[in-house]
Amino acid sequence: MSREEKPEKAQFRRFFPSKKKFCRFCQMNVREIDYKNVDILRRYIPERGKISPRRTTGTCSFHQRKLAQAIKRARIMALLPFIAD
Amino acid sequence: MRQYETGVILAPNLSEEEIDAQIKQMEEVITSLQGNLRREERWGKRKLAYPIKKFTDGYYLFLHYESGANVPAELERRFKQSDQVLRYMTVKKETTTSLRKKKKTEKEVETEERAPEAKETEEAQAEKEVGRPEVREKGKERRKEDKEKEKEKSKEVV
Repeated sequence: MSREEKPEKAQFRRFFPSKKKFCRFCQMNVREIDYKNVDILRRYIPERGKISPRRTTGTCSFHQRKLAQAIKRARIMALLPFIAD
Repeated sequence: MRQYETGVILAPNLSEEEIDAQIKQMEEVITSLQGNLRREERWGKRKLAYPIKKFTDGYYLFLHYESGANVPAELERRFKQSDQVLRYMTVKKETTTSLRKKKKTEKEVETEERAPEAKETEEAQAEKEVGRPEVREKGKERRKEDKEKEKEKSKEVV
């Protein structure tokens, strides 16, 4: 919201309204994220293998915490890389 | 008694008999310490995301069980000693009771209790107290509508 209220970007946003992001886990009504579910976790780590921030994916804070936890667990079990090149 | 989930990566150069023997040992540990083995997942050989002990592959195994705290401790003590286990991790499974719902019900109870007391002391305050729940309900309705709209939007996108 605060981004839209800035005077400099107001006009820009008027012509190019940003697509509303939403939490995909909330939509599917997920409570727990399993670290073994690698296919889902892979969507949230770009090439470099870092956990993508909330501002790019639109995940809610509750699920972002669960996601980060799951990704870190998957890294320990060598399901996901710590660093990818 | 708690729900645990232990993931184990065994070395890829073991024969099937050795793997079976390892798994049998784990099961025996669980059952002998009064644990209850719920489920056993065998993924088989799988490529590791990064090499461990110079192995690029690993045999994945996951055990789901219900037991006291002594079982995972004993299992991990054994894993540490053996060379055949590359990596292990035990995760506690939380029983799913959503905190948010609990808090909500508590709050509702509090407001109900407060409202009559306020009536007795001051009428003006009582009106406010009574007025609030309606506002809240309206807010809830609005949120619901918003959510439905978002869902429709997302469906369109898909």
